[in-house]
Amino acid sequence: MPGTLSPPQKTAGKTLPAEDVETSVAPDQPWITIVWNDPINLMSYVTHVFMTVFGYAKPKAEKLMLDVHHRGRAVVSSGTRERMELDVNTLHGYGLWATLQRQD
Amino acid sequence: MRVIRRRGHARIRLESVESGLLETLLDDLEGALRTLPDEDPVRQRLFPAAYRDDDTAAAEYRSLTEESLREDRAVRLGECRAELPSGAGEVDLDDGAAQRWLTVLTDLRLAIGTRLDVAEDDDPAIDPADPDAQLRAIYQWLTALQDSLVHVVMRG
Repeated sequence: MPGTLSPPQKTAGKTLPAEDVETSVAPDQPWITIVWNDPINLMSYVTHVFMTVFGYAKPKAEKLMLDVHHRGRAVVSSGTRERMELDVNTLHGYGLWATLQRQD
Repeated sequence: MRVIRRRGHARIRLESVESGLLETLLDDLEGALRTLPDEDPVRQRLFPAAYRDDDTAAAEYRSLTEESLREDRAVRLGECRAELPSGAGEVDLDDGAAQRWLTVLTDLRLAIGTRLDVAEDDDPAIDPADPDAQLRAIYQWLTALQDSLVHVVMRG
């Protein structure tokens, strides 16, 4: 079952109360968001989207775009399943072909 | 068509025929978003599966996301359509509006490019005998417009 699309809980860096620690399950396995090459989206636009969505500097965004273009795909983000579903949803809104999966 | 930056805004200058063309294309896309069947390649491309190897998860994800994604697209293209000049004129765009135009131009190119089954190594020269010659010319014009706009936006 996919996670909900609610934003991730802001617990990072905070110490959880003891009762939460006792009931918490193992942290999520890392998930990844992949962007796949497509013949329509412009290289300039894909770079712009990576900068806009992830806040990547232009050199990193361009490198990811070139990975997509030449290798057919690139991992653009990683984290919890819920977070990756949000990233995929955002990228679909920008017209990029994105999927998520468990990290190998 | 020309895209320039002036006083921090991107400006798209359109000929009369170009304004009319964009109006028609946006109306067509608006209709397609509402009416295309699930299995249509254009719809599949605009709303791709989020999971490649898990149909159940993909279907559940789709049920949670597709409707709002469709509404977002419809709102954006309606806003762009409302900004079009009647006849020749300019569209003046702040950063947010320019971003919206880039996204809507992407949706148009995805829809038309998928319909044309474009490939990366397509010959840019259009065969006049091709029954899709006119649509290919429109696709290339949209590509030039989007490329100009993205470069103006990225230059800041």
